[in-house]
Amino acid sequence: MTDALFAIPPWVPVLVATALIMVLPRKLGYALGLLSLGWVVAYSLIVPAGQVEAVFLGFDTVPLQVDEFSRLLGVGFGVLGSAAVLYAYAVGARRRLGAFALGYVAATLAVCFSGDWLTLIFAYEAMALASTLLIWEFGGRAVRRGYRYALWHVIGGSLVLLAVMWHVAETGTLAFESTGLSSGMPLLLGVIGLGVNLGFVGLHTWLPDAYPAPHIAASVFLSVFTTKSAAYVLYRALPEADGAIIVAYMGGLMAVYGVVYALLQHDMRALLSYHIVAQVGYMTAGIGIGTSLALSGAMAHVFNNILYKALLFMAVGIIIYRTDTEDLYELGGLWRQMPITAGAFAIGALSIAAFPGFNGFVSKNMVMDAALYEGHELLWLLLLVGGLGTFLSFIKLGYYAFLHGPATTTVRDATPLQSIAMVSIAGLCVLLGLLPGLLLDLVPAAPADTSVYTVSNLVKGIGLAVAGVVGFFIVRPTLAGFGHIPDIDRLLHPGGFYLGKGLVYLVTGIFAIVDRFVAGVAAWSYRFGADPAGELTTLFERIPDDSWLASLSPAEHGDSTAHLRADIGRTMLILTALVTVVLLLVLF
Amino acid sequence: MIDSFAELAPAILVGLPILAAAFPLLLGRLWTRIGWWISLVTTLAMTGIAAVLAYSVHVNDAVHHHLGGFAPPIGIELVADALSVWFAFLIAATATVVLAYTYQGGPRGRAFSSVYLLLIGGLMGIALTGDLFNLFVFLEITGIAAYSLIAARQHRDAAYAALKYLIIGTVGATLYLIGVAYLFMATGSLNMVDVSASLAGGGSADIGVPLYDEMLVRAAFAFIFAGLATKVALFPVHSWQPDAYSEAPDAVTVILSALVSTVAAYALIRVTFTVFTPAFFEVTPAATTAIVTLGVVSALVGSILAVLQSRIKRMIAYSSVAQFGLVVAAIGVATGPIPAEFALAGAIIHLIGHAIMKGGIFAAAGAIAASTGARTVQEYAALARRRPGLAACVAVLGFALVGVPPSIGFIGKWYIALGAVESEMWLVAVVVFISTLLTLGYVARLLERMYFILPEDAPSAVVTDGGDGVSIGMLLVVVLAVALTVVLGFLGGPLFELVDPYIQEVLHG
Repeated sequence: MTDALFAIPPWVPVLVATALIMVLPRKLGYALGLLSLGWVVAYSLIVPAGQVEAVFLGFDTVPLQVDEFSRLLGVGFGVLGSAAVLYAYAVGARRRLGAFALGYVAATLAVCFSGDWLTLIFAYEAMALASTLLIWEFGGRAVRRGYRYALWHVIGGSLVLLAVMWHVAETGTLAFESTGLSSGMPLLLGVIGLGVNLGFVGLHTWLPDAYPAPHIAASVFLSVFTTKSAAYVLYRALPEADGAIIVAYMGGLMAVYGVVYALLQHDMRALLSYHIVAQVGYMTAGIGIGTSLALSGAMAHVFNNILYKALLFMAVGIIIYRTDTEDLYELGGLWRQMPITAGAFAIGALSIAAFPGFNGFVSKNMVMDAALYEGHELLWLLLLVGGLGTFLSFIKLGYYAFLHGPATTTVRDATPLQSIAMVSIAGLCVLLGLLPGLLLDLVPAAPADTSVYTVSNLVKGIGLAVAGVVGFFIVRPTLAGFGHIPDIDRLLHPGGFYLGKGLVYLVTGIFAIVDRFVAGVAAWSYRFGADPAGELTTLFERIPDDSWLASLSPAEHGDSTAHLRADIGRTMLILTALVTVVLLLVLF
Repeated sequence: MIDSFAELAPAILVGLPILAAAFPLLLGRLWTRIGWWISLVTTLAMTGIAAVLAYSVHVNDAVHHHLGGFAPPIGIELVADALSVWFAFLIAATATVVLAYTYQGGPRGRAFSSVYLLLIGGLMGIALTGDLFNLFVFLEITGIAAYSLIAARQHRDAAYAALKYLIIGTVGATLYLIGVAYLFMATGSLNMVDVSASLAGGGSADIGVPLYDEMLVRAAFAFIFAGLATKVALFPVHSWQPDAYSEAPDAVTVILSALVSTVAAYALIRVTFTVFTPAFFEVTPAATTAIVTLGVVSALVGSILAVLQSRIKRMIAYSSVAQFGLVVAAIGVATGPIPAEFALAGAIIHLIGHAIMKGGIFAAAGAIAASTGARTVQEYAALARRRPGLAACVAVLGFALVGVPPSIGFIGKWYIALGAVESEMWLVAVVVFISTLLTLGYVARLLERMYFILPEDAPSAVVTDGGDGVSIGMLLVVVLAVALTVVLGFLGGPLFELVDPYIQEVLHG
């Protein structure tokens, strides 16, 4: 009985809830969504490791695989998903948003619980589809940005699909291998394709473009699932124990690039989106280094990031919900009116900035220690600069939103339900920061003697915080002077536009030529389709009478059945010929 | 309990319809409708028995029934194994369902019921027999019943079609018999398993060396293959089939298209894999070439001829020539040097799927003809407005025939293509693709006529009978076929599992 229950993938109930939320009353639907995600958490914790195999279209697939990775991600996505569903309900999201969000969560869970490349790529593409719908749901400006988002993810998804097909063609198996995707083109294409979801520098522009656009509840979901699941898939794609140091350095670059641009943002959610780039940089670095400490640090960082990044989006979402303002410089002094939101934000900010005692501190230092042990000092330095920038930009965000000047408006704090969602996640951030063992028990490949509360790390954490505070007040006047600093999208968007336009001209030019030919064929085919025998007759009439082909010519025009029937005698002749031919063939 | 019942079941399945065939003639004088009811009771009982037998074989093992208690190789045995039970069930179930069509759609009468039951008995015999000569007898019973059913339309074209079928079909069966005689000369046996063992050097002949190289055995294969190819209606010996299908009464066309060629193709699979076995084809690769070539040519030419037709029933009949070409090509692929499980599975699944789809399309064509009088592509213009339900059914079945998922047509073609790729017979894979395009060619013609011609553009030549001749039974047959076509399209894996035991047995010993 329980075995049968465990054989049902955990995302199935979520899909059921996706369907039901569209038809049930809003309260009941969201409650079901919450329940289904609660089941995901329970499932991830209790189900023994194992696989369910199935043959799909002649391929041996593993639609369900429970191992320590899926367990960790299942718990993380389940816990956060539950809080996010509660949050979405509390901020008045519609049923349709809930359905798209739950579908998106289900697809992400399917990625994490899949045991082979085919299932994974199916779920991966479904995830891109559902998240696009989630952005479009808001309408207005979100539609255009959602389009760009979809374009990026179609390209990325296609590259990963191509990589997987190439890999399967080379190895002949769909199973995950410890050597990752086959080296060469499959690996390269796969990493670049995943790089879109991970927000590699240059491929990241969809993040600050799309994530600030939709409903605040949609942003909470979006900030979590796409990028973090991509980090997990990156682990599957890269060869184990070997890593790929160039990918690790890309992670370091992302950390610095992300915080620099975050520091320059006015729009609160855009600021947070750039921090996704930076934070995923740490995960990418850890997976790229590839030692067990780095890998477990990266996976722990995935888990922690799920919590605090969503928490920050929730807190910022509440500010937008209450003040209807997205621009940081128009806010101020909100801590008096919104103490709960301010508190939640503070915990999220301290976690993301890796202040000692908060969960980000644990995992970020695991990755940085691993970089140091492996002798990648430059990478370590990049990550350190990223850490400093994180402090700076969150002091900025906190300062302008909550402290700076008197309150610009009079607003109420978060509602009780919204507060529950935020406080529960904030509590987890603190708990996992103080008792890192709780999380490290779940993390795959964590070395037994992992200890991040070393003197040097504590000094580094507090030192960065002090440097951040001092630094902020030094650079604040300069920062405020900056207008909008163009990111690489200034190049990419027009580039994409003109490339597209050029392609359209090229294609239409060729098409015009092909079109004339095809139209001719089509017109003939249409005539042929309507009256095949008649057309044939016309065709045959062009054949000289003495040709043997002419004897096949349909007898009468008009009755449009082709008179190509063989009578009994001719059939006998043909049958004899057939027997003779087969006999000759088989005997000699 | 089930086991002892299963022991008897094959004999009941074959004997029951043949015995029951006598009663409509005897009792028909008392009450004219009794023939239909006797047929219904018989076929229903057969369906139940076939289902129990299939379950028993699936769970336990193949059932061998020795007729009259004489053990093979002297006696005749009936075999229900993982392949034959599914065809037995298909035959019984189809026979039952088609009765729903005939209740109002006709043909009726006591003679019809008797011959109908005889046809079912013959088909069942082909499916279940384990004896080569016995197979010939049942081929003849089936043939004779089919000839008379076609002639039941009492029209000169139907009479000509029946005569043509009779002559060509009998010659085909005779060719098969010559082949069997050669095998008998070579091995001294007629039991399929025994002949197979004798060919391998053992069996009752016990010669000690394989006989695959013998000229007698090779010639036997050539005659048997040519004979069965005629029965299956492969191009170029298909010429009886379009006439027979298009001239027969509509209900008869349904049963002919669903079962008769299907069972002949089943016999080809049986003889190819159970009697000759892949070892024969290893020694005689030309035999594989012959099968694949004929299949491929049939698939292509059949499709092209179908595109050329303007009468609906002829078009669908030619489509059968093409689809059986694919099936036979897949059989050929499976005999190739690289054993292709998927190809054989594809052949079997496509065979069953084709029976469902074709039966459904012919039933729909019959119902449309009964209600609107439309029998040509021209007359199907704007049918979607007059008969939206039937038009939709034709559309779904047409798409299934093309191989659009989810449908049983897709599953069959998919496995055939997969098998062709697996055994590196690229030609077959390409032909599957081309024939799909050609299928789309004639299906699209129909769809275009039905859906994209406005009523005012429709030719006024459409004949209407005035009254609406469609019965619930007719619609039931069509809807059932559509539902099965789509539902089975989701069950590619389970279908494969059902026939896998047989495939493992014949391809890997």
